[in-house]
Amino acid sequence: MGVMTDEKNAIEVRNLKKGFKVYFDKGSTIKEKLVSKNRRKYEKREVLRGISFSVKKGEAIGLIGHNGCGKSTTLKLLSRIMYPDSGQIEMRGRVSSLIELGAGFHPDMSGRENIYINASIFGLTRKEIDRRLNDIIEFSELEEFIDNPVRTYSSGMYMRLAFSVAINVDADILLVDEILAVGDINFQEKCFDRMREIKAMGTTIVIVSHSLPQIEQICERTIWIDGGVIRDEGIPKYVHEHYLKEMENKRLEILEREERKKAEEKQREKEQREQEAKPEKEKEDPGQEKDQEQQPEIPAQQPEQENIQNKPGPEEKKEELPPFCSPLSIRIGNKKIQFTDVKLMDTDGKEKTVFKSGESFVVQMDYKSDEQDLLGNFGIGIFRDDGVHAYGTNTLIEHDSLVPIKEKGRVVITVTDNCLLPARYMLDVAIHSKDGIRYDDIRNIIPFRITANKKDIGLCRLDNFWTVDGRRMEKREYED
Amino acid sequence: MSKIQEIYHYRTMIASLIKRDLRGRYKGSVLGFAWTFLNPLLQLGVYTVVFSVIMRSGIEDYYLFLFVALIPWIFFSSSLTGGSSCIISQKEMVKKIYFPREVLPIAHVTCQLVNMLLSLIVVFAVLLVSGKGINPAALPFLVPVVLVEYLLALGIAFISSSVTVYLRDLEHILIIIAMAWQFLTPVMYSIDMVPEQLRPVFWLNPMSSVIVAYRDVLYYKQIPHLNTLLVAVGLGIGLLIIGWLLFGRLERHFAEEL
Repeated sequence: MGVMTDEKNAIEVRNLKKGFKVYFDKGSTIKEKLVSKNRRKYEKREVLRGISFSVKKGEAIGLIGHNGCGKSTTLKLLSRIMYPDSGQIEMRGRVSSLIELGAGFHPDMSGRENIYINASIFGLTRKEIDRRLNDIIEFSELEEFIDNPVRTYSSGMYMRLAFSVAINVDADILLVDEILAVGDINFQEKCFDRMREIKAMGTTIVIVSHSLPQIEQICERTIWIDGGVIRDEGIPKYVHEHYLKEMENKRLEILEREERKKAEEKQREKEQREQEAKPEKEKEDPGQEKDQEQQPEIPAQQPEQENIQNKPGPEEKKEELPPFCSPLSIRIGNKKIQFTDVKLMDTDGKEKTVFKSGESFVVQMDYKSDEQDLLGNFGIGIFRDDGVHAYGTNTLIEHDSLVPIKEKGRVVITVTDNCLLPARYMLDVAIHSKDGIRYDDIRNIIPFRITANKKDIGLCRLDNFWTVDGRRMEKREYED
Repeated sequence: MSKIQEIYHYRTMIASLIKRDLRGRYKGSVLGFAWTFLNPLLQLGVYTVVFSVIMRSGIEDYYLFLFVALIPWIFFSSSLTGGSSCIISQKEMVKKIYFPREVLPIAHVTCQLVNMLLSLIVVFAVLLVSGKGINPAALPFLVPVVLVEYLLALGIAFISSSVTVYLRDLEHILIIIAMAWQFLTPVMYSIDMVPEQLRPVFWLNPMSSVIVAYRDVLYYKQIPHLNTLLVAVGLGIGLLIIGWLLFGRLERHFAEEL
C-alpha cells in the first residue's frame, strides 16, 4: 500500500497499465498446452496505457468512451476483480461495486433468502443484512412476493430485487457499471433518486455509462478514456460535447469510407462491363463516360481530407461557432454547402424563442456553396431538453425532393400549428446529400420554449373531444 | 493476515453459499431435504445386500466396515473433484464481483463436510440399530480426525480449484486420480491386507491414517492411534500452506482466464 498524496482523495490512480493476452486460438486443455506449445501464439493487447486520476471524497465521476476503450477495465481494476500490470491504485474506505446484479440468486429460493445470499456476496454480515432487510424489501416494492421463489418473478421484478440489494449496500466508494437501466421508468427514476441520495450522504461514486445525460445529472466530472489513455477530463457537459463530436466524426469517416468503397466498386464494375462490352477498338474514348461515372466519387473522397484538417486536437475543446449558433451547438459536416444564417421566427418574420402550443413557426435557413451542381436534402430536428427526439423531417421525406444548390440560397420550412407540449426544446438543422453525406449539420442550434394554457401532459397534443352519455362535452358544465 | 480477516468478514457469504447448495440440491424433489439422509441409507442398503449375500468377505459386518470408511472418503474425494470446478462454475460471479476468492473453495469443502456430518448421523443410527453400538470413550477422538481431514481437503481444494482455471483438463484427470487414490487407501480393505514391506508407503498417504482412524472409532470402537495421524496432520498443514500460497498467486488472473 502506498501513501495517499492528498488526504481529501478517496481514490488515487497512478499510471495504471493493463494488457490482456489475446490468444489466436485459446487453448486451455492439456493437449493444446503441451502439443502446440510453440505454435501457441498470442498478442498482447494493451487496454490501459497509463491512466492517472484522483477522485475526491464525495465526488462523483463518470467514465465514458466507446466500446473497448478501457473504461470497464478501469472499473474492474478499481473493484479489484482484476489486478493491474503496473501502476498504483489507492482507495480509502469500503468499496462496493454495482457491476453485476443478482449474483448468486437461486431461482428456487424465496426473494427473502436470495437477499441474504446476494447481500452476503457483497460482503455484508448477517447482522448487517438483518438491519437492511426492511429497507431492501421496501425499496424493491415486492412485499407481497418476497416469500415466493424467485423463479416465479418476472424479469422486471427480478431486476428490481437485485438492484434493491445492490443499492442498499452502504459503501464509502461506489463503483457502478451501466445499471441504471433497470425496470420500468418509475423504478429507474427511483434508482436514480437513490443514487443522488447516496451521493448526498458523501459517498464517492464512479460510474461507467453510455448514457451521457445520466452522468451529467449525477457527476461533477467526466473522464473520457480513448485508446487506453485519458483523452479529456472536466465538466461533463463540455467533455460530452467534445466526445459526441468526435464520435460523430468517426461515424462519418466510416460512412465515407464505405461510401467510397461502394463508389470504387461501382466504378470497377462499370469498367469491367465496359471492357466486356466494348472490346479493344473503342478503348480510345472512355474519357467522356468515365468523367460522369467518377462524379459520385468526388463527394466521398474530399470530405475525408477536410475531416482530417477539421479534426479537433485533444486540446481543442470547441470549434469557433458563427453567431447564429447557440454556445451549445455542435457542428459537423464537410461544409461543401454551409449555413450562413438560421433563424427561428413566427409567421410574421419576427425572431422568437418562445412559442405557444398550437402556434405556427418558421425556420429560415440561408446557405452558400462553392459548388453549384450539388443537390441538398434540407432537414430539421426538434429535441426536447431531456434528449427525446420530438420531431424530424426533411425535404426528401416531405416532398421526395432535393434542393438544387446555387451559390447562395434560402430554404424555409413553415410548421403550421405545432402541437408540441410545454417544455424546452432544441432545434437542429442539417443539409445532407441524398446518400446521407453531411454537408453541414448543426445540433442544438437554437434553444426554444413552448408554453400553453392547457395542462395536458406528454410530448405533443393529440386533438380530442369527450362524449358523456352520448352528448359531447363543450365547456365547464358543473358548479362548485 | 489481513486476508484471513477479510475472509472472516465474508463468513456470511460462506454460510449462504453452503446453505444455497444444501437447500438447492434437493429443492423441487418430493422428499426434499430427507434425501440427505436417504441417500447414504440406500447406499448402505445396497452394500449390505451385495456384501452379505452375494460377495461375502472374511470381514465381519463388512457392509459397516466399508460404510464407515466410505462416508469420510466421499467427503475427501468430492472436495478434490468437485473443488476443481468450484471457481469455474461461479465464473460470472468471479468476473463481475469482488470478494476474496478463497471463499469459493472454503464454501465447497465446508459444504462437503456438512454433508458428511449429516451422513454420520445415519452411520450412528445404523450402528445403534444394528446392535454394533458406539464406544462413548472413543467418540471424542472423532473430532480431531474430522479436523485433520478437513485441513487436507481444504489444501487440496485450494490447489485443484485454482489450477483448473488455467488447465481445464484437470477436472477430468482428477476423477481418475480420485478413483486410483481410493483403491490405494484402505477404504474397501483393511490395512492388514497390505504386504508388510509396502506399509510404510501406505502410511505416507495421509488419507490412509485418516480412514483407519475413522474405522478405529466407529467400527472397532477403540481409541485411534493418534501417532499415525501425525503424518496426516503435517501433510495437511503443508498442503494447506502450499494451496493457500498457490491460490493467492493464481487468483490474480482468474477474471481474465475465465
